[in-house]
Amino acid sequence: MNPKKETPDEPIVARDAAYYRAPGALKARIEALVDAEAAVAREPRARPRWNWSWGMGWMGPAVAAAVAGVLAWNVAMMKVAGHQDQLLAQDVTAAHVRSLMLDNHLNDVVSTDQHTVKPWFEGKIDFAPRVEELRDCGFPLAGGRLDYLDGRPVAAMTYRRRLHVVNLFEWPSRETSRDVQVSSINGYALARWSEGGLQYWAVADIAPDDIREFARCLRHG
Amino acid sequence: MNERFNRLVMPHLDAAYNLARWITRNDHDAEDVVQESFVRAMRYFDRFRGDAARPWLLAIVRNTCYTWLQKNRPSEMVAMDEPALEAQYEAQGLSRGEGNPEVVLLQGANRKLVNQALEELPVPFREIVVMREIEDLSYKEIAEIAGIPAGTVMSRLSRGRELLKHALEKRMRRAS
Repeated sequence: MNPKKETPDEPIVARDAAYYRAPGALKARIEALVDAEAAVAREPRARPRWNWSWGMGWMGPAVAAAVAGVLAWNVAMMKVAGHQDQLLAQDVTAAHVRSLMLDNHLNDVVSTDQHTVKPWFEGKIDFAPRVEELRDCGFPLAGGRLDYLDGRPVAAMTYRRRLHVVNLFEWPSRETSRDVQVSSINGYALARWSEGGLQYWAVADIAPDDIREFARCLRHG
Repeated sequence: MNERFNRLVMPHLDAAYNLARWITRNDHDAEDVVQESFVRAMRYFDRFRGDAARPWLLAIVRNTCYTWLQKNRPSEMVAMDEPALEAQYEAQGLSRGEGNPEVVLLQGANRKLVNQALEELPVPFREIVVMREIEDLSYKEIAEIAGIPAGTVMSRLSRGRELLKHALEKRMRRAS
């Protein structure tokens, strides 16, 4: 008999499998990326020069410099924001595709009843997601699951549109409200909006008009 | 952001690489995936709350890996639903309740064989085994990272271990 009786948590793998450490070159590349990112974040804030020009009493140039600074800052922020939105749109699309490829991952709670789906999220996320049935609009509810987007756990609701699946992702937003914007990535239609402290992203391989209709129906019934 | 990111996230670069390397099974691809993951992590960092940066980062890495697999090796993503895995599992003649596996035999398993066997495990099992046994994450952390219930983590882990044992036994019999 072997004295080392295996317990469920005494693995063979941990003892023998490889731990792959990041190569030095990769580490250097990533550190350079972090520095570059930090520089981008710092630079726009250094622009408004009102600190020194204020004391010089040259209100004209001072104001001009301040305006230029603020403009530069805004443009830089808009660029950063635009880039983030684009990245997020890509991630939303990727999450949608992923949910369809992993058969068991499309729904963790399967139900066409909002009173079954909504309570499922309780205690799993730190906000109350909006769950509507939308059958009357031709988008019957199919279920829900947790997903991961924007660096945080989000609620994902799934709806059907004939043979297509619509993923609706919801998570808290700092924006108070934002109208529906429709875009498309690789043939997937996306709609995004913010309302009542939550932001919403809907995505499906349906026509842009259909995704707009989905958003309209969810918001206004 | 620089200082805080360096302090909280950078220490987990090895963990990120290890997970990516085990999922992609290739150095070059793992490097690409990790670099892309860090770009995302930086963008999302101002929304990161709390101090559990490792699971937060690994969730981003895992998602980036999956997106990469879909694009580059969709075949590995096909048979990932539970019934198909179950079928594969049954086909290998392994019943779940089979107690007292060949511990003695396995303790002689060498590193190379273990690595090969783990690499051949289907992705959904492999990633859970790696996170639990190599990365030493808790069930709860793994559940958050993989976006699956803790019960599924446990069942995949135990099935993953059995599949691994089975594969190891076969390899060792072949070797001896």
